[in-house]
Amino acid sequence: MDGKEAMTNLAALPAGRTAVVVGFNGGRGMMRKLDALGLRPGKQVRVVSSQFMAGPITVLIDGRGVAMGRGIASRVQVRTMG
Amino acid sequence: MRMMVPTRPSAGADGGSEKRVLLMGNPNVGKSAVFSRLTGAHVIASNYPGTTVTFAEGLLRVDGQRCRVIDVPGTYTLEPTSRAEEVAVEMLADGDVIINVVDATNLERNLNLTLQLLKRRFPMVVALNMWDEALEHGVTIDVPALADLLGVPVVPTCAISGEGLKDLQQSLKRAAAGRLDYEDAERWHVIGDIVERVQQVAHKHPTIGQRLSHATVHPVLGPVLALLILAASFELVRFVGEGLIGYAAEPLFDLLWRPLMERLSVALGSGGVLHDLLVGDLVDGQVSFGESFGMLTTGLYIPLAAVLPYVFAFYLALGILEDSGYLPRLGVLVDNVMHRLGLHGLSIVPMMLGLGCNVPGALSLRVLETRKERFIAATLLAICVPCMAQIAMIAGLLGQYGAAGFLPVFGTLFLMWLGLGVLMKRFTHGATPEILVDIPPYRLPYWGALLKKLWMRLKGFFKEAIPYVLVGVLIVNLLYTFGVIGLLSRLFRPFVTHVLDLPPEAIGALLVGFLRKDVAVGMLRPLDLSLRQLIVASVVLTAYFPCVATFIVLFRELGWRDMLKSALIMVVTAFGVGGLLNVILSGLGVN
Repeated sequence: MDGKEAMTNLAALPAGRTAVVVGFNGGRGMMRKLDALGLRPGKQVRVVSSQFMAGPITVLIDGRGVAMGRGIASRVQVRTMG
Repeated sequence: MRMMVPTRPSAGADGGSEKRVLLMGNPNVGKSAVFSRLTGAHVIASNYPGTTVTFAEGLLRVDGQRCRVIDVPGTYTLEPTSRAEEVAVEMLADGDVIINVVDATNLERNLNLTLQLLKRRFPMVVALNMWDEALEHGVTIDVPALADLLGVPVVPTCAISGEGLKDLQQSLKRAAAGRLDYEDAERWHVIGDIVERVQQVAHKHPTIGQRLSHATVHPVLGPVLALLILAASFELVRFVGEGLIGYAAEPLFDLLWRPLMERLSVALGSGGVLHDLLVGDLVDGQVSFGESFGMLTTGLYIPLAAVLPYVFAFYLALGILEDSGYLPRLGVLVDNVMHRLGLHGLSIVPMMLGLGCNVPGALSLRVLETRKERFIAATLLAICVPCMAQIAMIAGLLGQYGAAGFLPVFGTLFLMWLGLGVLMKRFTHGATPEILVDIPPYRLPYWGALLKKLWMRLKGFFKEAIPYVLVGVLIVNLLYTFGVIGLLSRLFRPFVTHVLDLPPEAIGALLVGFLRKDVAVGMLRPLDLSLRQLIVASVVLTAYFPCVATFIVLFRELGWRDMLKSALIMVVTAFGVGGLLNVILSGLGVN
C-alpha cells in the first residue's frame, strides 16, 4: 500500500501482512475473550495463515498464535502498516 | 475414564492443618508439569461438583507440613468466558495459597490473570515458568524488580528440567498477599508499565519450532503434515498395541494363567454351572481365552490382554499430541469441514478422546458452547466413533483379512459421520459459534507429566472397564442359561437374518453391546461369521447404541428429550446402514 496507512479488518489481510488493532465491532463477551488472548487496541498483529474457503485465520500477537473464524476476524478493525 | 460422584474436595477430612495450594495460570503454561514436579505418585483426578470439569489433586510436603496441591483448570481471566473458567474462579474460594504459574515467554498476557489474582489479596507466589525457553527467545526478566512491583515472591522455574522447583516450594512459606493496587480500567496500562520496567527482549531469528508452527497451519502444507502426523500416531498405536499383545499380554496369559485355569477346570469337574460361569465352555476340550466366555478366562482376557495394550498405546499417542500443542492446530485445519457438520474445528477433540473411550469424549462435550453443537457432536460420537476397546476387538476379528476387512468397517463409519453430520446440521436449530483458540508454541512433552496423565487415564480404564466386562460376561452366561438369548433370537430372527444376514445368535452380541462393546464383539467370535457378516456386525455394533457408561453421561449432558431424538437417529441409522451395507457387499461379491 505504498507505505500508506489504511483502515480495514483482520479478515481482509493476506498472510504475512502486519497491522495494528484499532477496535472491535461486536459483543462484550467476544471482546472479553479476545482481550484475554491478548488481542486489544494498540496491539500489533501479523497474519500467519488463512485457510481456504473462508476458513479460520491464524495471527501472531506478541509472538503468540491465536486462531479465529473469519467472522470474528472481520469484526476486528485494524490499521495496516505500509 | 471413570465418573466420580461429584463431591467438593473438602479440607475437613484430613484435619484442619492441611494447607490447600492452588496452581493457577493460563492454559498452556506448563502448569501440569509444575504440578507433576511438586506432587508425588499419589494423584487423583476429580470432577468439580456438578460439572464435568476435571482437575488433578496431589500431595506436597513443605518442611513437614502436608499440603494438598490442586491443579486448577487453566484460565486467562477471573471474568470467566467459559464453564471451565467459571470453575477455576469458584475453586479460588477453597484455597489457602496460590501458586500463579506464569509463562515467562509471554509475560504481558499472563500478568492479566496475575493482577486479577493480586486484587483478591490471597497469599500468593509467582512461578515464572518456561524460564529457559524465555532466555532462548532472547527474553530477560528482572526477577527481583518484578517481585518488588507485585509484592509477592517470584521464582523462575523450568518445570521440564525441574530447575527452580525446590525454590518454589520454599517460597510458599513467604507467600504474600501483594500490595499492588490499581483501577480495573487501568489494568492493561499497569501491566504495560510493569513489562516495560522488568522485561528486555533481544531480537532473535525464528526458531525451528516457530517455523514448524507456521507450516502446520499453512493452508496447503498444513493438511499434508496433518495426514503424516495422524498416520504416524496410528502406526505408533498399532506398533505398541500389537507389540504389547504379542510379546507381553498373550505369552503371560498362556504361560501363567492357562495352567491355573486348566487346573481349575479339572477341579470343577470340567463342566457344570460353576465351571461354565468361571471357566466357560471348553473348546475342543481346552480353555480358549477368546471363546470360552468364563469370567476368569474371557472375562479377564478381553480387558487385560486384548484391549488394555491398545488403550495404553492410544493414550500414549494422544498424550503426545496434546502436550506438544498440536491439537489446536488440527482444530484450525479441520474447521472448514467441521462447519459443514454444524460444528467447529475444536469439536475434533471430543471425537479423538472418544476414540480412546466414549465416556471422556462425551464428558468433554461440555467445552462446546451451544445446544446444537452438543447434540450433533454427541450423536456423531455415539454412532460413528468406536472406542479403542471395540477397535482392538474388531482388529482381532478382522485382522486376518487386512485392509479388506478394516476399510469397509472404518470407511463406512467415516462416511456415516460425514453424512449424518451434514443432515443434522440442516435439521438442528441453533447456532454454531466460530473457532477462537490460543495456538501455543510447540513444546517437547515433559515425560513426567505425560506418564502421570497416562496413568490416571489407565486407572480410569481399570475401574470402569474391568467390572463392566466381568458383569457383561456374567450376564452373557445368565442369558444363555435362562434361555433368554434363544427366545430373543427367535423373536428377532426375521430381521437379523433377512436384513442383516447374521445368524440369530448375533442378537446376543447386540444385547450385550448395551453394556460393553468389546465383550459384544468378542461374542461374534465363536459364531464363525463370514467376512461380509463380520463387517456388517462390526458397523452395526458400533452404531446402534452407546454402551451404558456413555449413555449415562450423554443422558446427563443432553437431557431426556435430546437423548431420545439422538437414540432414534442411532437405531434407524445403524440398522438402515447395516442392511444397505449387506446389500452393497453382496453386490460386490463379498461373502
